[in-house]
Amino acid sequence: MSTIDEGRSGEIRFLQGNEAIARGALEAGIKVAAAYPGTPSSEIPERLAEVAAEQGLYMEWSVNEKVALEVAAAASLAGLRSLSAMKQVGVNVASDFLLPLAQYGTRAGMVLVTCEDPGALSSANEGDSRQYARMMEFPLVEPGDFQEAKDITKWAFELSEELRNVVMVRSVTRMSHASGNVVLGDIPKSEVVARFNYEGSPFGQMEGVIDSAPPLAAYYHRRQQEKLKRAAEIFEDSPFNAYSGPDYPELLIITSSICHLYCKEAIHVLGISDRVGLLKLGTTWPLPARLLEKHLGKSDRVLVVEDLLPFLEDNIKVMAAELGQKIGFKRFYGKKDGSLPSVDELNPDLVEAALTKILGVEGPAGPEEYRKQMEEVVKIGAPARMMTFCPGCPHRASFWSIHNALTLDGRKGFACGDIGCYALGTTAVGFETLKTVHAMGSGAGLASGFGQFKPFGFNQPVVAVCGDSTFFHAVMPALVNAVHLQSNIILVILDNGGTAMTGFQPHPGVAVKAIGKESSAIDMADVCRGIGAEVKVCDPFDLEQTQANLLEMIEGEKGAKVLVLRQSCALSPEKKHKKMFDMSVDQTLCLGDACGCNRLCTRIFRCPGLVWDKQNKKARIDSVLCVGCGVCASICPRGAIKKEEAV
Amino acid sequence: MRVYGSKELTADVLGGDLCIGCGACVELCPYFRNHRGRTVQLFKCDLEQGRCYVACPKAEVDLDELSHLYWNEPYQGTPIGKYEKAFASRASDRMPAGRFQGGGTVSALLFQAMKQGLIERAVLTGQDQGGPRPIIATTPGEIISCAGSKFGAAPTLTALNRAVAEGCRNLGVVGTPCQVTAIAKIRSNPMEIDDFEDAVSLVIGLFCNWALDQRSLRAFLTTRLDISRVKSMDIPPPPANTLVVELDGETIEFPLDEIRSFIPESCGFCPDMTSEWADLSVGMFEGRPGWNTLLVRTERGRELVKSAEAAGLLKTQPMPEENLEHLKGAAADKKRRAFQAMDHKGILNSCDEGVHALMRVGQDVANKIIRE
Repeated sequence: MSTIDEGRSGEIRFLQGNEAIARGALEAGIKVAAAYPGTPSSEIPERLAEVAAEQGLYMEWSVNEKVALEVAAAASLAGLRSLSAMKQVGVNVASDFLLPLAQYGTRAGMVLVTCEDPGALSSANEGDSRQYARMMEFPLVEPGDFQEAKDITKWAFELSEELRNVVMVRSVTRMSHASGNVVLGDIPKSEVVARFNYEGSPFGQMEGVIDSAPPLAAYYHRRQQEKLKRAAEIFEDSPFNAYSGPDYPELLIITSSICHLYCKEAIHVLGISDRVGLLKLGTTWPLPARLLEKHLGKSDRVLVVEDLLPFLEDNIKVMAAELGQKIGFKRFYGKKDGSLPSVDELNPDLVEAALTKILGVEGPAGPEEYRKQMEEVVKIGAPARMMTFCPGCPHRASFWSIHNALTLDGRKGFACGDIGCYALGTTAVGFETLKTVHAMGSGAGLASGFGQFKPFGFNQPVVAVCGDSTFFHAVMPALVNAVHLQSNIILVILDNGGTAMTGFQPHPGVAVKAIGKESSAIDMADVCRGIGAEVKVCDPFDLEQTQANLLEMIEGEKGAKVLVLRQSCALSPEKKHKKMFDMSVDQTLCLGDACGCNRLCTRIFRCPGLVWDKQNKKARIDSVLCVGCGVCASICPRGAIKKEEAV
Repeated sequence: MRVYGSKELTADVLGGDLCIGCGACVELCPYFRNHRGRTVQLFKCDLEQGRCYVACPKAEVDLDELSHLYWNEPYQGTPIGKYEKAFASRASDRMPAGRFQGGGTVSALLFQAMKQGLIERAVLTGQDQGGPRPIIATTPGEIISCAGSKFGAAPTLTALNRAVAEGCRNLGVVGTPCQVTAIAKIRSNPMEIDDFEDAVSLVIGLFCNWALDQRSLRAFLTTRLDISRVKSMDIPPPPANTLVVELDGETIEFPLDEIRSFIPESCGFCPDMTSEWADLSVGMFEGRPGWNTLLVRTERGRELVKSAEAAGLLKTQPMPEENLEHLKGAAADKKRRAFQAMDHKGILNSCDEGVHALMRVGQDVANKIIRE
């Protein structure tokens, strides 16, 4: 596999959007990268980690996004160009630091890359971080294709140093995870000595302490706004803002990011390039006024195409109002008039439909035939399949026990969930055990609240479920809260030995760093004991012991308790291709449909490795899928599922 | 007998607060489990008919069908059900000492039943720190260890189901009226299972007015005393009106009014005080401490009493008419109240679409019971 530091200037490489961003950072000569994994951002730090040694780069997986941003900011203050990457919800975590960071500004170039998830394909929400740029007054740039993903990232460092402020580069799933041709530039070889200059006046940008005592905060804020004005000036001539189309289009489309490609495709398919103009903005906050004046002045109708909320649309409308006397009245199309949806991802079809309606044009030539063909293809496509836990996933076993313990207790106990694969615990594959899923750490925080409501007649047992990486990321403060205030909760930590959902990145509980070197692992059970919680650790594959522990905790003394369920992820590198047990179903013992179990194994337990043998009408192990965890042997009431130590 | 599936059982019995946690539906499948006296369904099962429903004494109990099966006649609705003979009884001195509630009659009968091979194992209710728990006794010592009333509703029949699943036959069961009704329902084989085999060869029923919810009782006692010191409990006959808890070295009395709220709602719908579907029914003999009331209902019961006496394990005396009338009066009261409650709730002879009955019986008999 090639790494992103391969290839010389002028060479063309087929790069994923995230790889292009990482390459752009290398071409900008970054020295430090810090991140917390999160789809669709994780490949940026991962690709950087691969070349860290070779390129003399410090790269870390930080405990959470706020700390990652702080680590990157420290680099900037020490004179090292730095990047921090995260997904949209990570920006929320980092935002507490982002506000004062943007207010004071930066020294060496610093870029915050946010990769967002319109459609919430692998997120709990469709958060849109563009709003932060406006709210917290720092520049925002968005690449419009894969070449720009690299180029705009590299340029963002220069911009950051010109303005002395953090620059946000925003991507979305279809930009980050799709691939395209990218012409490479050089990776500079530079030696920098890191040093934090705190001597000098706090009013200085490149030296002095950073303080926010009066009147410094107001001074910094004024300086910040001047930076933003300068950014708008720079953006007027930015090559990342480009127009294509007739001089006086019937309809002006203004767009950014991946929607740029959707618009190009829709215009091409509808054959309306002579009627429609396309203004692609790479610099989306602050908006360049003169550029917009020029283009808005040439068309009476404007369609704004962007994913999710009308961020561009609203800001352009404000600008159009300010420019009103010069450009005249405009008719706007976009989210507000319903031409495009403000939830879920856009795509070329949606843009096409909006254009068809606005311009009254027909769809593409021969659409009937094309659609028929497409429908035929769709019919024979992949069958619908619900999301599930992998064969051998410890979460299935854990939820089985949590569900059963809460049900046996019978007081309508419930579990508050968190962010990870185990968020599937709300569905049938997790036995509908989780009743809430919000943000990282929120399960424990909610539980800490529920656990205090006894004076109001609340008697339901409360369990919080979190992953190991999530525990360090955001659960610890909630646990401290629960222990300190004696909230009646049970925190179950599903310790599968890594940040599994995003690709098994290490976390503070794992004795390895991002760049593969050894580090000290922090034992989460010890942390919890140190906080003052009663702690038990067991293997979730031992269903009986796990349920006994849970019931004891549910029925036991009041206060916060922690059960660490420790079993590696079925996809963890140490487990891959290794079976603990050879599993089989003794079909002479399995009674099939005649058994009172009503297909407990395949109807309820639902491990993909355990299937219904339609021919024999009995259960069967799918030896290709089964990873030999052995758990199903303990759920068959007839003992028909056999496990033997794998050799 | 109408038989539905676990969906209906869960809705009607668990959802309708009718479950007494007898354990009859537990361990037949992986879905129903009993934990600390309460039965729950772990996962939904979509079978249209289930053995769980067959076994439940709180779902579609057709008294006429059971009566035809047992006595070849419709259900009569008499206060203490069909019986041949009533005795005052007690274990003889030949029996080892036990913590008997009354006269030790049940233990003596089980000793004899096991000795003569009528039963191989006995499904009983023991007690440990966690509360009453089902036990499969195979030795006289285990039988003796289960002596004494538990008062907490117990999932005794989980042990029966487990024993049957393990292939045991010739089982003796000692149970409360609800548990005895469950066994009668199972025996009636309403699903007409081809290879059905009656694994129970002796049923000794206990007298019961009501049970106490295990969890509530335990929670209550925990606040008042060290529960690990409890040796036995008793509710002496009126006018005592107390729950007497014997600890090692002392006894503590609680007014019955303090624990009445722990009586499950389900007991209010139970019309059976004397375990009418048993071979032998045993209860306290009011006014004669150390003695039991023993009702002989079946031929098998009669033979066992005879042989127990012959073996010198059991002593019997004729039951004075006056005591019998008193028992019948109390049983009639319970029966009337239960029928009225079922009638009021619409779960007696329900005929509306989708509404299932707790019990069914000829309407004339029902009317007679309700009016008396």
